[in-house]
Amino acid sequence: MAQVTVRNIVKRYGSVQVIHGVNVDIADGEFVILVGPSGCGKSTLLRMIAGLEPISDGEISIGGRVVNDVLPKDRDIAMVFQNYALYPHKNVADNMGFSLKIKGRPKAEIDAKVKKAAEILDLGKLLDRFPKQLSGGQRQRVAMGRAIVRDPQVFLFDEPLSNLDAKLRVAMRVEIKELHQRLGTTIVYVTHDQIEAMTMADKIVVMRDGKVEQIGAPLNLYDNPGNVFVAGFIGSPAMNFIKGSIDSKDGEQIFVSDTGTVLPAGGVKAQGGQQVIYGIRPEHIDITPDGLPATVSVLEPTGSETQVFAKLGGDAIDAIVKDRLTVRPGEEVRLRIDPRRVHIFDRRSGARL
Amino acid sequence: MLAPTIAILGIFGIVPFLYVLYVAFHQWNPFGANPYMIYNGAGNFRRLVFDSEFLTSIAFTLKFAFFAVFSEVILGYLLAQLFMREFPGRAFFRTIHTLPLIVAPIVVGSVWRLMTTPSIGIIPYLLKSWFGYDLNIGRDATMAFALTVIMDIWHWTPLVTLTLLAALVSLPKEPFEQAQIDGANRWQIFWHVTLPMIRPAILATVFIRLMDALRTVDEVWMLTGGGPGAATRYLGLHIWKIVFPKTDYGYGSATSIIVLYLTLVMCWLLYVALVARRGQRRTP
Repeated sequence: MAQVTVRNIVKRYGSVQVIHGVNVDIADGEFVILVGPSGCGKSTLLRMIAGLEPISDGEISIGGRVVNDVLPKDRDIAMVFQNYALYPHKNVADNMGFSLKIKGRPKAEIDAKVKKAAEILDLGKLLDRFPKQLSGGQRQRVAMGRAIVRDPQVFLFDEPLSNLDAKLRVAMRVEIKELHQRLGTTIVYVTHDQIEAMTMADKIVVMRDGKVEQIGAPLNLYDNPGNVFVAGFIGSPAMNFIKGSIDSKDGEQIFVSDTGTVLPAGGVKAQGGQQVIYGIRPEHIDITPDGLPATVSVLEPTGSETQVFAKLGGDAIDAIVKDRLTVRPGEEVRLRIDPRRVHIFDRRSGARL
Repeated sequence: MLAPTIAILGIFGIVPFLYVLYVAFHQWNPFGANPYMIYNGAGNFRRLVFDSEFLTSIAFTLKFAFFAVFSEVILGYLLAQLFMREFPGRAFFRTIHTLPLIVAPIVVGSVWRLMTTPSIGIIPYLLKSWFGYDLNIGRDATMAFALTVIMDIWHWTPLVTLTLLAALVSLPKEPFEQAQIDGANRWQIFWHVTLPMIRPAILATVFIRLMDALRTVDEVWMLTGGGPGAATRYLGLHIWKIVFPKTDYGYGSATSIIVLYLTLVMCWLLYVALVARRGQRRTP
């Protein structure tokens, strides 16, 4: 186990710079998830931690040791790849024991460690099978087993669940989380799926265009997003954004959208007339008789809840309610926005106000 | 739907084969004392067993095939690895290295003959002026053998390179990265990851090259004519000599059948040794 420190990391491919001075501190035993849209540099950063990509500038240390020029094999890490990267010609046991065999460990020790890891992951019956005889989820578990056998200082996961179907992904999410609780090893995990990030991480690093947008605990990011990007990225369905400006009425601050809709603004630190973006999560909108009138355009009932897409004045807005609604598209509902849950962002910089 | 295939296969494959088989059981030399086909039973085959020329030819052919194919696979793999790397002019070298493949064997033989003929060839000239060595493949059996091997390597290594390059290019990169993280060094990655993953391509190439090498005729015929003595009289050339200059069709056909059989057996042995045995292996 070890802490990982990423200091001012820069990555350039020729003249193109893809990572611009990233700093991340990962504590010993922490489960950290790097999340962001495709091309944000999260996988590149992980590969730099693994030693598979050279570092253009900055410093990465694992367990207090600077590893910039250390080969992957000497970094004491294990990595799980998106497409599992199993050796197709080796069976499950050989795949899992390969790293120990390379180190010249005695066969009995290899067998014992493989068996133990197989027990943890329920792979006992599959040890003789070859990768092509396994399902996606089983392959994924073998890849994880291979990492466990190493007993490394840090686990690196590169979008490990992206190739699995939705149901299996949920199951594997739980397994990985359990594994972390059981082993307590530091994990750096890359995903583009904010649900994975929210559900599994101790700490989330949100990245965009090679820069860190915000670092924080999942619920902290959800409650206090630092800017419009993080606010839109974290949370599902995504936050509603309405463009407009701050005004005051009867001594209270209000928000007036560009299309003229007036919404409660809460106690925002913004000046009157400032151009802002108004953010409210769908789950923080209720349907109550004393709300603002909105016209329903689409309803999406999922059983446990109903997502309502509506027009509030000239602005599209969606809400999630627990009730089953009897309204039809085209009819009116009354939406009440919880003013305490409103996020106001500066329109130009995107920063939270 | 299969009719055209069967017809073509029948006309060009099965009928000639059956005819050769038929001829093999006859004595037939149309320009000999008796120009008619006379049924001979297994006489031709019996004659083969005691034919020392034929047996020597088998030995030489196997030696030739072993040295040629072995060197081609090693050299071909090294070249394929080289072409996997980025270096200036890679596309150009990739292209020109395949040029020998498009040259007809008879032309290759002619060119190498020109290059090796004493007093006019560049190779004897350079060997003489640099090392004081007299190269005369008309007299030196070892050198003649070596040159047929070198010529075959020159001609066919590009094929091996192309096949192995295609295999290497199509490999996923993750297992190699995984192996790096698992702690394997270059040699271990080659032995435990690369080699097993391109094994099918290597086997296919070895089979193709082995079958080709066992029936080589024209190049060797141009270069050495099978000499000196019978030092480079490989099986293909041996059969050709029986069938054409000697017009001993019956005996030639019997030899062909045996050579076909030998080739099949060798490929089967190789297959068992390299493929089947591995398939049965199951480690706990």
